[in-house]
Amino acid sequence: MNRAAEQPEPNPLREGLSARAVPQPCIIVIFGATGDLTHRKLIPALYNLAADGDLPPAVAIVGFARREKSDEEFRTELEEATRKFSRQAVRDEIWRTFAQSIFYHQSEFGDEAGYETLAKRLDKIDKECGTRGNRLFYFAAAPDQFEPILKHLKAAGLNETCKGSWARVIVEKPFGTDLASARELNRIVRNSFTEEQTYRIDHFLGKETAQNILVLRFANAIFAPLWNRHYIEHVQITAAETLGVETRAGFYDRTGALRDMVQNHLLQLLCLVAMEPPIDLSSDSIRDEKVKVVRSLRRFAQGEIAANVVRGQYAQGAINGKPVAAYHQEPNVKPASQTETFVALRLYIDDWRWADVPIYMRVGKRLPKSATEISIHFKKAPAVLFSKDLTDQNVLVIRIQPDEGISLRIQAKVPGTSFRIEPVKMDFHYGTSFGKASPEAYERLLLDAMSGDATLFARRDEVEEAWAFIDVIEHTWSAKKDAPGLFFYPAGSWGPDEADDLLARDGRAWRRL
Amino acid sequence: MAAIAENYSLGLQVELGKIDSELKKLWAQSEGAMTRASLVNLAVYSEAPGSLEKNTQLIAKIAENHACRAIVIGADCKTKEDRVEAWISAHCHISRTGSKQICSEQISFLLEGPCTDLLPSIVFSHLDSDLPFYLWWQGEFREPMDRQLWAWVDRVIYDSQTWKDFHAQMRLVESAQMEAKQRIVLCDLNWTRLDRVRFALAQFFDHPASYHRFAKIKNARIEFAPGFRSTAMLFAGWLAAQLNWRVEKTIGGGVLQFLNLSGRKIDIELRERAGEPIGEIILNSPEVEFVVARAKCGDLLEVSRGKPGEKRMPQLMPAGSNDPVSLMSEELMRGGPHHVYLRAVNCVRDLL
Repeated sequence: MNRAAEQPEPNPLREGLSARAVPQPCIIVIFGATGDLTHRKLIPALYNLAADGDLPPAVAIVGFARREKSDEEFRTELEEATRKFSRQAVRDEIWRTFAQSIFYHQSEFGDEAGYETLAKRLDKIDKECGTRGNRLFYFAAAPDQFEPILKHLKAAGLNETCKGSWARVIVEKPFGTDLASARELNRIVRNSFTEEQTYRIDHFLGKETAQNILVLRFANAIFAPLWNRHYIEHVQITAAETLGVETRAGFYDRTGALRDMVQNHLLQLLCLVAMEPPIDLSSDSIRDEKVKVVRSLRRFAQGEIAANVVRGQYAQGAINGKPVAAYHQEPNVKPASQTETFVALRLYIDDWRWADVPIYMRVGKRLPKSATEISIHFKKAPAVLFSKDLTDQNVLVIRIQPDEGISLRIQAKVPGTSFRIEPVKMDFHYGTSFGKASPEAYERLLLDAMSGDATLFARRDEVEEAWAFIDVIEHTWSAKKDAPGLFFYPAGSWGPDEADDLLARDGRAWRRL
Repeated sequence: MAAIAENYSLGLQVELGKIDSELKKLWAQSEGAMTRASLVNLAVYSEAPGSLEKNTQLIAKIAENHACRAIVIGADCKTKEDRVEAWISAHCHISRTGSKQICSEQISFLLEGPCTDLLPSIVFSHLDSDLPFYLWWQGEFREPMDRQLWAWVDRVIYDSQTWKDFHAQMRLVESAQMEAKQRIVLCDLNWTRLDRVRFALAQFFDHPASYHRFAKIKNARIEFAPGFRSTAMLFAGWLAAQLNWRVEKTIGGGVLQFLNLSGRKIDIELRERAGEPIGEIILNSPEVEFVVARAKCGDLLEVSRGKPGEKRMPQLMPAGSNDPVSLMSEELMRGGPHHVYLRAVNCVRDLL
């Protein structure tokens, strides 16, 4: 969004071209280069950028990992993965050119010598490929490796840049596991890189539909006057998955749904829905407004958690007619695990716009369908004219995934001689209206980081404020005395009954997805 | 569902006054299995024989990426007797998610004889309300331009490469634009043809450290295919307009001479060679040569920079395609006014 981040003067040949400016040449160093993220997401995303002509003329990729392998072996592995996971078919001639600039650097993350040789290698690549000393370090390794990596990067002088070049670091979530660890992680990163050099990636923000929330709200004058407590009765945000923990059981069992999804993805979506209009589209203007939303979240006292937050764990059940095991029967999950796979919350944003408007959020695994949606429920029209039992309300739904789009439920008269009113839906589907496939979130985010545009990345204060809000809930759950219960729900249902009660107490129900 | 155009037929022939009701029937028959989509009214006008069938094929492909209400008009003004025939059809494809059929509807008209004057009324009666109206005019414009029609057009799409007299045609288009109080955006597919090569050249100069090279450009060479001199000329006009060069003179052998702001001469050589519309562009400054050339595999551009004669690492970029479906798809993806195009045209108008 902040296209002008590195463009003090415009390039006159760029004027009128619909494609965005190509970022500066650079070397992308991926720590954890043999892992899943690199193979499934990062390299396919970079390949797609290259195929679409969006990468700079000189860009090199250096994979940094422990295992012994040659550049050629690494390229072959990545080619195989890209052919499998890329959104567009791999073309041999493009891959050949792209692969020429992929290199492998073998080292332990804690081996100082490995970083010294990396520095020399990067200088050599700069000379050979014209990457101009620009470096983008991507941390795709486990979070416990961040500290040694950052320490050694600094020791090798790789966090510093010559005049006119830059060094940036992309950090994958989780950004800590609580406020204290997030602060510690931020401190460790700040020892080597400034906040301006740090890009905390949340792939939800790279999704086209998440970005469209700002366009929907601020480019359509009809919504602005209605987007407040006077017209909105409540808001629901749902992130449902049919999947269980799959291969992430080890991580998930330590983390749970609240930390894995609510602290980052759901609160980020809430920020986009609830923020005030920014003064411009620069990254800090947008993030300034987002952080105000998180700061305004009403903090729960420990005694209020049970009434406002419900946690659940899936038991045995069936998804799409296929029986599935209970969470505690999954491989690598402790049989007596108390980890939540479902969370429902009722939140309030204590600011002028949203005071007393309940925000209901739910996130869960092994739910009947996979869908991430935001719904804005408007207050009912006065029923004096038509009928006292006019029960339906206008609902604006923003579908984040899948079947991205927007729908609006309105009341309409049923044809006939009587005055019967029924809700109807006006529906916009991205896939129907726009034939062109959207780029993957990682494509957009990698390109933004290369261009120095941090708009779609989380800032330190956003992350810490979010943890401060989450920590109270976590602490209450883990308290030895009076901890609210963990409720079980059959896989394939919409969560425990207590989640329905959360809304029923307010005279509401979850939207049917 | 006979009107669903699976084999690019014109579909179901209908009476002129019953087009709307027949369209309604068509969608009622689909019983919710298909979703009608439309983002734009796209009217296509051609006087070429057989154009209705040919344009139906093009629309079927264009509609896969650009849902529209298509109004395809084939006209034969030379016939003495009036005849108007109409057909309706739908172009359907499976959505990206694979879950439903997305359909664009097409209304086709065959106009013969003096009734071609009825064009505006026919078009106006069948526009999908509140959607922008794009008119793709194939071939040459004729005088007089119908004021009523042009006042409604949001974007007029044409291909100046096919024009015999650029000056006269451009005058007609510009006067229509003036009468429409500048509402019409002029979209020249000959300009769209240059989109990818302009992008490929522009990206060399995205880094502020490269800006100083603009002032050092000595000369350039543009290779173009037979019939595409105007395309090459537009490219030269674009470079000149954006870099503040003005035309000095034409020298023999296809060389145009420009003067930059400091009065230094810059020669642009236009060289004809069989191949793609624009085969290669070389921009020379004293230390660096910038090259954008068609790669051997055809639909990619090979882009490189370096000292003349030194070994380079070329980058491959999408080249786009010269077929009308690709050009139209590119054009429909764009928005906003084409000021840069008009500046380029004005820079070389007298040479076109």
